[in-house]
Amino acid sequence: MKRGKFWAWLTFALGAAYFIIPLLATMEFAMRMRRGTYSFDAFAVVFGDPRFQATFMYSVVAAIFTILLGVLIVVPTAYWIRLRMPQIRPVIEFITLLPLVIPAIVIVFGYIRMYGSNSPLPFLGSARGTDALLVIGYATLALPYMYRAVDTGLRTIDVRTLTEAAQILGAGWTRIITRVILPNVLIAVLSGAFLTFAIVIGEFTIASLLNRPAFGPYLQNIGANRAYEPAALAVITFVITWGCMTVIQLLARFAPKSANRPN
Amino acid sequence: MPDPFLSIQSVKKSFGETAVVRDFNLDVGRGEFISFLGPSGCGKTTMLRMVAGFEEPSAGRIVVDGKDVTNLKPNQRKIGMVFQAYALFPNLTVAQNIAFGLNVAGTPRAETAKRVSEMLVLIGLPQLGDRFPYQLSGGQQQRVALARALAPKPRLLLLDEPLSALDAKVRVSLREEIRQIQKELGITTIFVTHDQEEALSISDRIVVMNNGRADQVGTPFEIYNRPTTRFVANFVGTLNVLEGQVVDAGAGTIQVAGQTIELGRSLAGRSGGDGVSLALRPEAVSLGRTPGRPGALNGTIADVHFLGSVIRVRTKVGDRTVSLDTFNDPALPPPVSGSAAEIAFAPRDLMVLGD
Amino acid sequence: MTTDITRIEPGAVVRPGNPPARRRTARMPTHWLGVAPFFLFAIMFLILPTGYLVVGAFQNPQGGLTLANIAALWEPTIRAAYWISIKVSFASAVLGALAGLAIAIAIVRGGLPGWVRGATLTFSGVASNFAGIPLAFAFLATLGRLGLVTILLKDVFGFNLYATGFNILSFWGLTLTYLYFQIPLMVVIITPAFDGLKKEWGEAAATLGATQWQYWRMVVIPVLWPSFLGTVILLFANAFGAIATAYALTGSSLNIVPILLYAQIRGDVLHNPHLGYAIAFGMIFITGMANVFYIWFRTRSERWLK
Repeated sequence: MKRGKFWAWLTFALGAAYFIIPLLATMEFAMRMRRGTYSFDAFAVVFGDPRFQATFMYSVVAAIFTILLGVLIVVPTAYWIRLRMPQIRPVIEFITLLPLVIPAIVIVFGYIRMYGSNSPLPFLGSARGTDALLVIGYATLALPYMYRAVDTGLRTIDVRTLTEAAQILGAGWTRIITRVILPNVLIAVLSGAFLTFAIVIGEFTIASLLNRPAFGPYLQNIGANRAYEPAALAVITFVITWGCMTVIQLLARFAPKSANRPN
Repeated sequence: MPDPFLSIQSVKKSFGETAVVRDFNLDVGRGEFISFLGPSGCGKTTMLRMVAGFEEPSAGRIVVDGKDVTNLKPNQRKIGMVFQAYALFPNLTVAQNIAFGLNVAGTPRAETAKRVSEMLVLIGLPQLGDRFPYQLSGGQQQRVALARALAPKPRLLLLDEPLSALDAKVRVSLREEIRQIQKELGITTIFVTHDQEEALSISDRIVVMNNGRADQVGTPFEIYNRPTTRFVANFVGTLNVLEGQVVDAGAGTIQVAGQTIELGRSLAGRSGGDGVSLALRPEAVSLGRTPGRPGALNGTIADVHFLGSVIRVRTKVGDRTVSLDTFNDPALPPPVSGSAAEIAFAPRDLMVLGD
Repeated sequence: MTTDITRIEPGAVVRPGNPPARRRTARMPTHWLGVAPFFLFAIMFLILPTGYLVVGAFQNPQGGLTLANIAALWEPTIRAAYWISIKVSFASAVLGALAGLAIAIAIVRGGLPGWVRGATLTFSGVASNFAGIPLAFAFLATLGRLGLVTILLKDVFGFNLYATGFNILSFWGLTLTYLYFQIPLMVVIITPAFDGLKKEWGEAAATLGATQWQYWRMVVIPVLWPSFLGTVILLFANAFGAIATAYALTGSSLNIVPILLYAQIRGDVLHNPHLGYAIAFGMIFITGMANVFYIWFRTRSERWLK
């Protein structure tokens, strides 16, 4: 027992060291910009850079649209499957897991070949269209996470019973979805949304290959040309990711516990 | 008890500040079937887990077959245990589950195979050896768990609420089966349950536990008919409690709701004017004068519940309710609520409850 | 293909109780309308683009059927790129899985205080999503030539890391960096699997006389094995398709498949668009085969799974 505890502590300590040292080193590196003393100059330079502001805002907007698109596609589908078509659930699950198997670079390669300006659907023919394709690509990347989050949320509330109860009380479909289902899965949807945000905000491959002025390509550009700013950017990105995950954890506390199901 | 097989001596267990088992003593004879009966949180499961070796007693000794096992690890104690949630290994077939204990002991393969098929026959599932646990019903899984526990020929069989996850019908048939197998093998067994009917129906002796102590140890007959504490009387079976006043302690005369009854025995340690609690089982009360039940009280019928073969009648005696069971007789009209009634009982069935 | 993620949520069971058949036939079209947007999206933006590349991999520029593109994957540069990619992905998946497993065991079974578990899981959630370019920056700041650890090792311990031949822009450098998201991903997925082990199984094994090791060998390892292997496959695919970290870390000096494909998409460096398709096909083929192997293994050896 005592010996086991020693090994557990040792494992934990080694793990903690591996994960914390790079963070400290990055922070330290970012603060080395001014010679001879530690300062936050690198952060000041980054925040003052208009390209930082522009690309970051661009990615934030892209993330918001990605979340909206993801919710629009995933929520009705997951709901409908729970309610009416449980027999095709394996197919849907299979599809939602595909983006974990097909690398993003392959998917975007396919987009470039299929939706060029001479194709029947010339997404790439205009800047707006390319933006749209970026959001679509992001929604595809986030599909596995969004679907699982929403599906888990739906499972805890027993949609079928809730829907039938609402129908007996005379509610129409619009009312059922907006008043009964959405409020109950809101927490799950928000968790999926923040996870999507964390994935999308610094995404490089798709944005770069579609030539979008997003945060990911900006990061890459700074990394190739500057010394201390990349470390500052890494710290900032880590804080953003941390923030998203913290919000998800907090949301989980407010999630409805499965009150109307025995287990 | 001379030469007990299992002896639990002054065992105490506390988790931090909370004492869960306080001074528990019990001697169990070889081949005996003992039940620990009590409400949840009474310490019965903790006591069983100390016998199994999962919990270490804070004080006291546990002796099996003359050997102190208090400090032995569970895997050195040679016990078989059956859990409430079956706890079959999901990755192993029924036969492999049963063979588990034999395999870890390094039993030769042929012998293991023979023992496994014996056990499968014993639990009445000879054709299910190749199934996986998820393919079995709850009752079947619990039988396999029993076979798995018995296969290595343990010295002691511990059953931790093994029937509570099953539905009512299976519960009854399986408990009879467990008792029969136990008798057949003559294995010393401890059975933990919160279900008094279960405990009464299969045990040689019952230990009624309350608040970390053994309140009463006795045969099912003694526990049910001669409870020694108010807790045991209340916990085991349904009980009518009447509050009375002692009129004459020596003669055993008591007044209940303005009516006098004769106890027919003296009330030791009490004197005239003392309050006294009397208890009666519903089946010891009859409606109307009955031969052999000379005691009587007058009241009114409050409710009548038709239960099929039995009719449960609730009567008001003063401000107290007395429930009684009468057999359903198709030839007679059922009792009517609101009517006056005389209830009869034998004074010796009146239990005087201690505090 | 992969069912790894589903293992996170055991119990996602299809519930019985479909609506009556009569109603279903009468409502067939509206029924499918509910899932039509999803299928439309999946076909247009996931399946068709991928299928386009797969078909293209077997075509010559004139549209005729050919295996030449696939054969060209065996050219030395391309083959080398695949080999490095497979090595890095495999090493980071296996090492990440083992390290993640050790951490999960430590926090679940090690008897550590409760906050350790909570903190580890929270941090793992963050770190498993901290990938891409910022991760490369972090490791450059740590183990690059001017990184904190490199300097500390040299100044304090007199140990010149780079004199040993270590380079953050190398195979081991990349593997070490990938572990930063691989380990936490393993922790996040395997910890719930450990929680799924019932306490009574261990107790039952103990009363049956099994030692701790026997219990692990006969029950714990067989029960956890599918989740573990599934996660390894997921980690493999995760590393195999990753480009941003490697690109930011090494520019194009480390020749891995995604970087090669990236260069091909940007500038047709191979001077044959269909060879690009073949490379993409090769990537899908490898991650796909990994999953097929996993499914085959699981159905073969895990008959006890429902």
